[in-house]
Amino acid sequence: MATRTVPMEPRAAREEATNGSAIAAFLGGSIGAFAMGVVVILNEAGIFAAPTLYGPAGGVSGRTTLATIAWLVGWAVLHHRWKGREIAPRRIYPIVLILIGLGILATFPPVWRLL
Amino acid sequence: MLFTDRSIWTMVHGIVLGGGALMGLAAALFYLYAARTSDGPQVSAPNGSRALAALTVFTAAMLWLTVLVGTYIIFPPYRATPPAGVTGLGQFPRSLIQASSETAWLHSFAMESKEHMSWIASMLATAVAFVTVRYRWGVLHDASLRNLAAILLAISFTLVSFVSLMGVFVNKVAPLQ
Repeated sequence: MATRTVPMEPRAAREEATNGSAIAAFLGGSIGAFAMGVVVILNEAGIFAAPTLYGPAGGVSGRTTLATIAWLVGWAVLHHRWKGREIAPRRIYPIVLILIGLGILATFPPVWRLL
Repeated sequence: MLFTDRSIWTMVHGIVLGGGALMGLAAALFYLYAARTSDGPQVSAPNGSRALAALTVFTAAMLWLTVLVGTYIIFPPYRATPPAGVTGLGQFPRSLIQASSETAWLHSFAMESKEHMSWIASMLATAVAFVTVRYRWGVLHDASLRNLAAILLAISFTLVSFVSLMGVFVNKVAPLQ
């Protein structure tokens, strides 16, 4: 079967040759997880309650939307800054895992009882 | 009627979408594991990497559909407050499980966990999907990318498995009818 190779644009080729976009996506995901944890823990502590965006679903609609916005904005900023660049994974990966861990921990109901 | 709209949505949420996401996560994890050898990946690119990209995009889409349906279609009738004077709580699952101290944990622990953790799983799976699409060849051949992608998928799989189990418990005691 004949195949056709499409030449890659120099800019796209440069961005794919570097890991910046990938690291930005991973760190962006961890920022989203951490943001979810922060929004939830602030709500449970009575410090900040995200506005309800959809009444029948209650406060969870505001909390999850807020965290999703934080994730997308964080990812977009990191992607813009790091695309086409080579980022040292060893510096970033521990931060990614710590943010995810904290985010998950803060959404775990038994943790709220400690507040 | 054999199944109500609510029960059909519950099945779509838990079995079709959630089940599809779990299978996709397991398959993607296995794919990344199988591609990993001491000398580097043995999967021939680009066909192998294209399959992985399709698989992770499918998984992320299933996860987002699961959390959106769960939050905006399943959750509202679950948390509906019964009108004054109502004695039968069968149509009000949250009130039903909170009415007994033996089942109250199904809301305070199980459902409260489900509300937020599944969104984190979706974000992480989306990040991996983006990387597998953009770095089709690289995600299999770059050990650092492949390893972190596998870790995020494993975290996502664990979270989805946990919230799925909690969903089964809640639905067993107080199904949406």
